[in-house]
Order: sequence, then structure tokens, then C-alpha cells
Amino acid sequence: MALDIDKRETDSSWMVKAKGDVDLYTSPALRGVILKLLAKGDKALGVDLSEVLYMDSSGVATLVEGLKVANNAKTGFFLTAPSESVMKVLQLARLDAVFEIRNSV
Amino acid sequence: MKRPDLHLEFRSDPKLLSCVRALTRRYLEDLGVDAERAGNVVLAVDEACTNAIRHSYGGRRDRKLAITIRPNADFIEFELCDNGVPARADQVMRKELNPCDPSNLKPGGLGIPFIYKAFDEVAFVPGKARGNRVRMRLRRQE
Repeated sequence: MALDIDKRETDSSWMVKAKGDVDLYTSPALRGVILKLLAKGDKALGVDLSEVLYMDSSGVATLVEGLKVANNAKTGFFLTAPSESVMKVLQLARLDAVFEIRNSV
Repeated sequence: MKRPDLHLEFRSDPKLLSCVRALTRRYLEDLGVDAERAGNVVLAVDEACTNAIRHSYGGRRDRKLAITIRPNADFIEFELCDNGVPARADQVMRKELNPCDPSNLKPGGLGIPFIYKAFDEVAFVPGKARGNRVRMRLRRQE
């Protein structure tokens, strides 16, 4: 299944919305968008995961890398409204407490 | 040996993983495996394929992978075979995931723990010169 990725800018952050499956095939595209926006270094970055139907370890690794880059740059990085399947994989990875998770988009 | 329920050969192309997941999910649904366990198994089978593509085949998309599913009275057995570089024992050993220290985040290293978490029995059998065989067994529930 393909992954649709949209980005928009708010006053305080960049928002990236992923829609579909995040796996070995699609995670490089999500990684590219996240790292490109973080490289601007001007605003926090939020990833809206409300419509991600499936995420594997490569998707989790993409989020971890984004968080690391943001931490090093001292900009914010947060996840928004992760779907049930995303929450399950973050819990399985024991990483759910590592990310700032916001409930609403 | 009894003929397997399913034997699927496919190219080591990541774009085919969604098809493998759909097939695995549907197979488990039809056997009445509950959604929670089925979700974990789908993830684990996907991770085994991902490992083979990334590590055994170094990302090459034109190699062969094969999944075989054999159910019996006690287990549903999934076997994934590749013909790539054999894994080292330390790469496929059981690892427990602990809550992560935010100051020591590392992307990656989750696939193998996900496989062990989903299945009741896991055996990685690297070939002597080429190939890997991963046998993953899910115990059937009443």
C-alpha cells in the first residue's frame, strides 16, 4: 500500500501527515520529508499518525531518527494522534514514553 | 511430509511486503487467530522479510524469498527462506526490549525482538555457505 505524505506549516511548527502503511518500502520517503524539514531548524516538527494503518520497525526507526535530530538541534518533535496500530508498535518497542504524544491534530 | 497449506515465492522487493502482510493476515483470520496475536504475527513475518531483504540480500530487489505455512494440531509454522548471506548468531539471538533511555536513542534493532515476541518458538538456521531459514511457530489456542 502506498503512503501519502502531506506537509503544512503553522505558526509554531511543521506538520507532516502520513496516510497509509509505513514499512521498508515507504519509510524512506517519510524519512526524507522529516529530515528535510528538521534541517531548516526553525520550528518544531509534528508527525500526524492518525491515518497510518500499519507501521513496522523501519517506520519506528524513522521516528526515532527524527527525534534524535530534533533533540540535537534543540527543536521540538512530537507525534499527533497515533492510530491504534501505531501505538501498539510503539508500545511493543517500549518507545511510547520516549515520544511527546499529542492527542489532537 | 504433508504438503504445506501455502508456499509463496516472491522477489526481494520491499513494495511486495504489503501483499505478503495481506495474505498472512487473511490466512490467520480464516484460521480464527485472534486479532491481537494475528497483528503481532503479521508484523513479525514482515520483519523477517525485511531482515532478509536488508541484511541477507543487501537491499537487492531481484532475489528470491519464499514463505511456507504449515499448520498442524499444535502449531501454525511459518518458514521464510532466502539464498543470501548467512546471518551471524549474534545478529539473530533473542533480545529483550527494555524501556528506552531517551538520551541513548538508537534507530533500528527492533525487527528480531518483534519476531521473538510474536511467536512461541523461533529458530534461525543460517546455511553453511549461503542462505537462511527462519522457522517461526505459533501455538494454536483452544
